[in-house]
Amino acid sequence: MTRTPLRPLARILHARAHGQNPDVIERENIRLRHEEMQDRDRARAESRLLVLAMVFFCAFLVVSARMGILATSEPVEPVARAQGAQIAMQRADIVDRDGRLLATNFETHALYAQPPQMVDPEGAARRLAEIFPDLDADRLLRDFTGDRKFLWIKRRISPEQKQAVHDLGEPGLLFGPREMRLYPNGRLAAHVLGGAGFGKEGVTAAEVIGVAGVERQFDDWLRDPANGGRPLELALDLTVQAAAEEVLAGGMRLMNAKGATSILMDVRTGEVISVVSLPDFDPNDRPRPPTEGEPADSPLFNRAVQGVYELGSTFKIFTTAQAIDLGLVRPDTIIDTRGPLRWGRFAITDFRHYGNSMDVTKVITKSSNIGTARIAQMIGAERQRAFLDSLGMLDPTPFEITEAAGGQPLLPPNWSELSAMTISYGHGLSTTAMHLAAGYAAIANGGQYVSPTILKQSGPQLGPRVMSEEAAAASRAMLRATVTEGTASFGEVPGYAVGGKTGTADKPKARGGGYYDDKVIATFAAIFPSHDPKYVLVVTLDEPVDTSGAEPRRTAGWTAVPVAAELIARVAPLLGLRPQVEPRSTPDITLTSN
Amino acid sequence: MSYLEYSVKSVPTGPRKILYLNWPLVLLVTAVACVGFLMLYSVAGGSFGRWAEPQGKRFALGFALMFMVAMIPIWFWRSMSAIAYSVSVILLLLVEFVGVVGMGAQRWIDLGFMRLQPSELMKVALVMMLAAYYDWLPARRTSHPVWVLVPVVMILFPTFMVLRQPDLGTALLLMTAGGGVMFLAGVHWAYFVAVIGAGVGLVTAVFQSRGTSWQLLEDYQFRRIDTFLDPASDPLGAGYHITQSKIALGSGGWTGRGFMQGTQSRLNFLPEKHTDFIFTTLAEELGFIGGFSLLVLYALIIVFCVVTALSTRDRFAQLLTLGLAVNFFLYFAVNMSMVMGLAPVVGVPLPLVSYGGSAMLVLLIAFGLVQSAHVHRPR
Repeated sequence: MTRTPLRPLARILHARAHGQNPDVIERENIRLRHEEMQDRDRARAESRLLVLAMVFFCAFLVVSARMGILATSEPVEPVARAQGAQIAMQRADIVDRDGRLLATNFETHALYAQPPQMVDPEGAARRLAEIFPDLDADRLLRDFTGDRKFLWIKRRISPEQKQAVHDLGEPGLLFGPREMRLYPNGRLAAHVLGGAGFGKEGVTAAEVIGVAGVERQFDDWLRDPANGGRPLELALDLTVQAAAEEVLAGGMRLMNAKGATSILMDVRTGEVISVVSLPDFDPNDRPRPPTEGEPADSPLFNRAVQGVYELGSTFKIFTTAQAIDLGLVRPDTIIDTRGPLRWGRFAITDFRHYGNSMDVTKVITKSSNIGTARIAQMIGAERQRAFLDSLGMLDPTPFEITEAAGGQPLLPPNWSELSAMTISYGHGLSTTAMHLAAGYAAIANGGQYVSPTILKQSGPQLGPRVMSEEAAAASRAMLRATVTEGTASFGEVPGYAVGGKTGTADKPKARGGGYYDDKVIATFAAIFPSHDPKYVLVVTLDEPVDTSGAEPRRTAGWTAVPVAAELIARVAPLLGLRPQVEPRSTPDITLTSN
Repeated sequence: MSYLEYSVKSVPTGPRKILYLNWPLVLLVTAVACVGFLMLYSVAGGSFGRWAEPQGKRFALGFALMFMVAMIPIWFWRSMSAIAYSVSVILLLLVEFVGVVGMGAQRWIDLGFMRLQPSELMKVALVMMLAAYYDWLPARRTSHPVWVLVPVVMILFPTFMVLRQPDLGTALLLMTAGGGVMFLAGVHWAYFVAVIGAGVGLVTAVFQSRGTSWQLLEDYQFRRIDTFLDPASDPLGAGYHITQSKIALGSGGWTGRGFMQGTQSRLNFLPEKHTDFIFTTLAEELGFIGGFSLLVLYALIIVFCVVTALSTRDRFAQLLTLGLAVNFFLYFAVNMSMVMGLAPVVGVPLPLVSYGGSAMLVLLIAFGLVQSAHVHRPR
């Protein structure tokens, strides 16, 4: 910007020459410059004002246009967008194989407070404590009058309680919808369902997450909206499960056991129709995990898939089945059963002495440890290990509840020949009852492995063959014979041709140091009907003792077998099995008419 | 040009001043206030005693104050600017410690006869302070960064204090009005472009970050923003007011249901029907014509403020008058937008109409300042 000088020399000289005061010229120039500056400032201020006026005008237009639009619009009642409902019904139901409800959702409310909005904190605290006797009025009052802007009062309240709180008319007490997981059958199938709890929590909704069982295992699936509200279909049969739980609970009491488990499994599909573990709990009010003591004593402990025990003589049938499959023996091969069988410093004895020799069938029916060990010697450790591996005995079962992954079998550190001999009659290898059920299912279905599953299947799910049809058939005959003339004679249920094998294993002491004399795990693994097996049933009692006789009896034949027989008698009709006369075995001598 | 530079001989003195008031403005203000009384009478179900009478008393008091303020020369108010600003800041600080908690926020100081809301006082004091500042500042320094920073601090400090109460609406109003005065004072437009650009960029960044790994806010904060921006998504919660007021406007139609015939407000659908949401009652009972008329009254008030500003050569008076006009404009524009669902719900009353003491008194004092500028303008 060029500036005109305030005292231009030419004009000053001219003025001086004419005797005028040159200061007048300076003042005039200053005034001119000020006016120029003011004009510039004014122009700028006016342009700014113009911009602002346009903003005002636009706002004026927008507001009046909006007013016009609203004035001409039809008043519409607000419709709540599906947001709330969507969250509330997010988790899928769980149903049994016939579509009967096992787990569903229930609309309830959570109660929270916003103390800054409270009108009468004192009265509210006092009356809340009247409605909810477990709340402390003083503590509430402290919370209401303190700095807190928000607090939860109750996570879940009933409709009656909600109404009572509503009636207080306190604007600072507010409700948030809550979806609650409800198990309408209470304790039924508690271990399978597990339970659910709240995850992330908001005022308008809270996340429901599975904490155990199928709820945890299938948590993602249950919460996946892509399933379109389809329920999760389990293999369980609600009525069978109820009957099994009732019978087992009665058996447990009668046999003075501290725990019991039963597994009923379809031998072709692997579907677990019923699985019971006692003691149990109510998944609607899941107890806290114990912080001390034996985890196995907690009701949360799932004996069927977590309880890893030596299952005793029930394993013998695997030894004989393998030996028959390998062609080493036939059911009528005579085995040397003279005892005790010494191996190094270790001696294998029988519970009772049945003679110096017996055939393979009798080894099973009379449950001879010595005879089984001799057969195991024929098989050898390597082949035995491979066979048990093919039956899934060396890994946790693939059963689809979270806890099953914890059922890791305990293997001998070194699978020696001695290990092979003890494992042949069920010692030295600890597995869960679920492993045993899967193994027996392979025998029952003609020699193919099936993996136990909690999900409903549409057809047979037979896996790889683990033994020949003949070996499986021979084993079934032996299991049947065990019931008709052997250790499981109490297992006979007229019309259902039960076959099975007992097992009584001493319980190991908790911190090593051998076994208890008076604490056993009594197991009965059964198949029925044995001429055409449909189901496997495994019943295990923890520390049973039958005190009805002169002296306490603990063997499975006296404890687990009668319970299992009662269970079969109760559930077989529910499973649609008709009692029938066993087909007579073909006579050895063919009669001719001529 | 400052008042020191012009001759004050041409300014009326004594009672003659009354003749030289900006009388159209006085009448407009009174007219709007009367609309307010009518609506309060209607909202109370035909009762004067409930809201209309106390509101009328406060208006009378404020009206007297307006005249008193108008009689005192504008150059006195210029010298009071710094003091008014300081007192407002101190009161804002006081509210932190001795404030009364109401409606979930700490905004009031109990003076015994009335509850004072220092943030309302600050709206006027801030405009005064900024106008005085730019009057004092030589024009060539207006856009110098250091001299821009000073008013920015003067604006941001009270804004921050108000935000802490928390009162988002007033904070935004303070910031916008302050920025408006700076704009009118001639601060280089690049500053405004930069600030608006940065603001838009920040908001965009925050929204763009949603669902990515560098998410700037938590999910629940986003949900809150969602409800804030679109209250219709939660019609029974945050959007309740908006939904109801939209229904009210819709049922009012062009001509309205008639005075005292409104259902929405009469049936207690709206908890704040006599304060921030009084416009819904007006729109329902008097329809689009009533609502638009009120809007025109407001616009005329702005026009007469601008007339005053243009007729004076005093820079302080100009900036003060225009700043107060911007403030007033923000009041009704934000309130109406909010009621009609154009803007998020922030607590801003409808000026001169909504029930409430502090806002009414402060507004009338502000109009007193405008009148003073008008009376004492150099001619």
